[in-house]
Amino acid sequence: MSAYPILSMTTFLPLLGAVVILVAGGGGRARWIGLVTTLSTLGVSAPLYRSFDKGSSALQFVESAQWIPAWNVGYGMGVDGISLPFIFLATLLSVLCVGVSWSAVKTRRREFFAALMVAETAMIGLFAASNLFLFFIFWELMVVPLFLLIGVWGGPGRVFAAVKFLLFTLAGSMLMLVGVIALQRMCGSLDFKALALAGEGIEARHQIWLFAAFLAAFAVKVPMFPVHTWLPNAHTEAPTAGSVILAGVLLKMGAYGFLRVSLPILPAGVEAFLWPMLCVSAVAIVYGAYVTLAQTDIKRLIAFSSVSHMGFVTLGIFTLEQRGVEGAILQMINHGIVSAALFLCVGMIYERTHSREIAHYGGVAKVAPVYASLFALFCLAATGFPGLNSFVGEFLIVGSAFATQTWLGVAAVLGVALGTVYMVWLFFRAVMGAVNPKLDGLALELKPREVATLAPLVVLTVGLGLYPEAVLSYLHAPVAELLGTGGTP
Amino acid sequence: MTPVLALQAATLADLRLLSPELILVGTALGILLIARRIRRSPVAGRLTILAALASGVSACWLLPAGSADGARSIEGFGGLFVIDSYSQFFKVLVSATLAVVALVSRRSVDRADAPHGEYNALLLLAATGMMLAVSAVDLLTLYLGLELTTLCSYVLVGITVDRQASNEAAIKYFLLGSFASALLLFGISLTYGTTGATEFDAIAGVLADGNAPLPLAAIGLVLAGIAFKVAAVPFHAWAPDAYQASLTPVAAFMATGSKAAGLAALGRISIVAFEPAGEFVSIVLIGLAALSILAGSLLALPQMSMKRLLAYSSIAHAGYALLGLVAGSPEGVSATMTYAFFYVFMTLGVFGVVITLGERGQSLDGYRGLAAQRPVTAALMLLFLLALTGIPPTAGFTAKFGVILSVVTAGHVGLAVLAVLCSVVSAFVYLRIAVLIYMEEPTAPAPARMTTVLALALGLAAVVTVAGGVLPGSLTAWAVSP
Repeated sequence: MSAYPILSMTTFLPLLGAVVILVAGGGGRARWIGLVTTLSTLGVSAPLYRSFDKGSSALQFVESAQWIPAWNVGYGMGVDGISLPFIFLATLLSVLCVGVSWSAVKTRRREFFAALMVAETAMIGLFAASNLFLFFIFWELMVVPLFLLIGVWGGPGRVFAAVKFLLFTLAGSMLMLVGVIALQRMCGSLDFKALALAGEGIEARHQIWLFAAFLAAFAVKVPMFPVHTWLPNAHTEAPTAGSVILAGVLLKMGAYGFLRVSLPILPAGVEAFLWPMLCVSAVAIVYGAYVTLAQTDIKRLIAFSSVSHMGFVTLGIFTLEQRGVEGAILQMINHGIVSAALFLCVGMIYERTHSREIAHYGGVAKVAPVYASLFALFCLAATGFPGLNSFVGEFLIVGSAFATQTWLGVAAVLGVALGTVYMVWLFFRAVMGAVNPKLDGLALELKPREVATLAPLVVLTVGLGLYPEAVLSYLHAPVAELLGTGGTP
Repeated sequence: MTPVLALQAATLADLRLLSPELILVGTALGILLIARRIRRSPVAGRLTILAALASGVSACWLLPAGSADGARSIEGFGGLFVIDSYSQFFKVLVSATLAVVALVSRRSVDRADAPHGEYNALLLLAATGMMLAVSAVDLLTLYLGLELTTLCSYVLVGITVDRQASNEAAIKYFLLGSFASALLLFGISLTYGTTGATEFDAIAGVLADGNAPLPLAAIGLVLAGIAFKVAAVPFHAWAPDAYQASLTPVAAFMATGSKAAGLAALGRISIVAFEPAGEFVSIVLIGLAALSILAGSLLALPQMSMKRLLAYSSIAHAGYALLGLVAGSPEGVSATMTYAFFYVFMTLGVFGVVITLGERGQSLDGYRGLAAQRPVTAALMLLFLLALTGIPPTAGFTAKFGVILSVVTAGHVGLAVLAVLCSVVSAFVYLRIAVLIYMEEPTAPAPARMTTVLALALGLAAVVTVAGGVLPGSLTAWAVSP
């Protein structure tokens, strides 16, 4: 344990960076300040991993202070094994976002990097919050910078995508607000631990309504079928950094909400919604994969594949088994790494060709071998190739799904199979074959800065594939605790 | 001493309690005396700001120290008028509003070629009426206060005498306003007829005895009369026309000060005078709140004129603020007070930006590409729009959280869900402006730079808006229900 407020520092350092960028970010300084801020945030958070006690399921690095006595709400921060990997993901991806936006963002850089920094604060704060009020604040804070990132620096359909994203998420989170307030009235506190204890006392019929209120917010963010329709627009139109944050972290916020709020606090609600949730997850996996097959736009293809992959996550969570939940969390981290990497790859080549259509590519491997091999690695990882990171999470989830109901396992396997088809097919159309004449005269090969941006993700993809225990060891204790107090099927 | 003399002496001593109002009235009369000489000079505006600040300070000064039993009120003028933390909270708010409005008025008044002296005197008198209304514990004082405010507002709306639209709006406002005043008076006379009292406490006492059941019509008429002042649906029809046709600072004053004073009056009357009939009051307030939120949010959607849009938005916000009163609990009233306070500052902020942009700020099209031309103004506008939407960490979220908490506590979860769903609709309304500002290309030349005075006013509004979001508990010590 450290004596200084390490979580608050990690959370608010990017916000400070945003202020500095707005005040002094003129000229070319904004991106340098952004890089320094994100790197130092990563540095400040380093002691978190070093002195974390993996054997404990309790919150660590706890900070608490009086905040709003009238509502009995305090300022509380703390992490356990479930939230810590996400903080790592958020801090790491923020650095990469700065890297990929280095030359891609040409207009209003100051505002762009400031928005990126605010988004980083919201991401870290969400995973570090130890009470529901703070969780909600960061949840909402996240929406604003992304709205601007998509709407100002996005593609041709950016305004529609930004507004759709905003309205979907806001509609969900407003219902969550009623849920938060109702919980506050019933339990008298919004602290996660206190709520988990008091939650058992809430009447089952109230729990069902509360679960529905929170589901509205979480399902939109995950996104679960059928409220996923904002995602293809937002992912496709967002600038690369925006897509990376969306796919890498924002989608995980909903599933994290299930783990933090729904499972521990509303066991009766979970029980009532268990089958609908499992069915919707299975539909998302198969439907998402099936729709992915038909896409002709690379970013849209990766976006729809996210629907399918996040279906695995919710499936794993609602099996309510140790390995299923652990697999789901691992899958979230892995999807964060792989989809972020794929969006980075697409963004880098888009910067050169200004086209997202698969038909405009072909034979990239002949002109840009380094790019092609990295892209191949991430495509394989996305299919769940053994030895790469996604394999372990999907394997755990599929096993757990078969143990729950055979047809769920079948749906999951079908999703994996279709996933292999669309990723490999994408790779063949875009990278293999003869060089597309449209690519003539373009310098497609990656610059060293871009290779450096992708390098950490390569390490993680291979590393977590070979040694998943690096993440799983954090999860054993808190997941066991979660399922002990949570509902059982 | 004879009883009459004793009463007179007591009344004279009570004048001290009126010092915030007297400062405003004195300044107003002083300005009127020299109005012809300062027709085009900014001195009237400066006097108004000074008077507003002095009045706010004296309102703080008068606040009685808390006694052991927590009773913090001084009655004056034989029970017509009270000083308690509730009234002083709103008086400080009204004087702050007056100061900000006077601060941002100068250019608009100049451009419209309106007389500075009369303009500021009317502002001061309207603020006096608001202060009287928030201190009123008698139906007649309340009526006088509200009427003084409304009468001044009629003239302020029509102060640009050579503009037809403004004359038309003033007359519409006057006709509907007189109708509402008649409703209020009729309600007062019915109440007096049945209970024999006009004092709030005495009315509550008679009602609680149950001997003289007050006709529901009396309560309904009184509430309707005041609902007109806060522009709650279905008594809102005047607001869009009046806002659109009047000078922007006048619209700002009506949207903030008048609304806050009306809410204060509604709060006190429903929790003190009609407390024994709380159930009926609550039903009326639920109706007003739900309709205002629904209609205000939906009708703001198609507006293309900025001030009309803000008029509908202020109608919706009146509905949100009324939510706190539905519960009839001290916590609920406190939530409404907090809502009113933060709403005033974020609305002043938005109007401040509209004033900054001058002619360009009047229609939504004028906001296209503002971020590329004036990034600071654009960022401030975004902040205020987010606050109006209720997104944390702004004061708008704090305010919304408080009123919805009180509604859920009172058990009206359906109303809470309606309120939050409508806030998604209004999010579309506000963020449409944000989209124009940030995501469109400019079509008009860049607006003039913000003047120092406007920057000061907008800075104050922004500080309150952010501070209220970061420290949501900061007002709870002050926002105490009567």
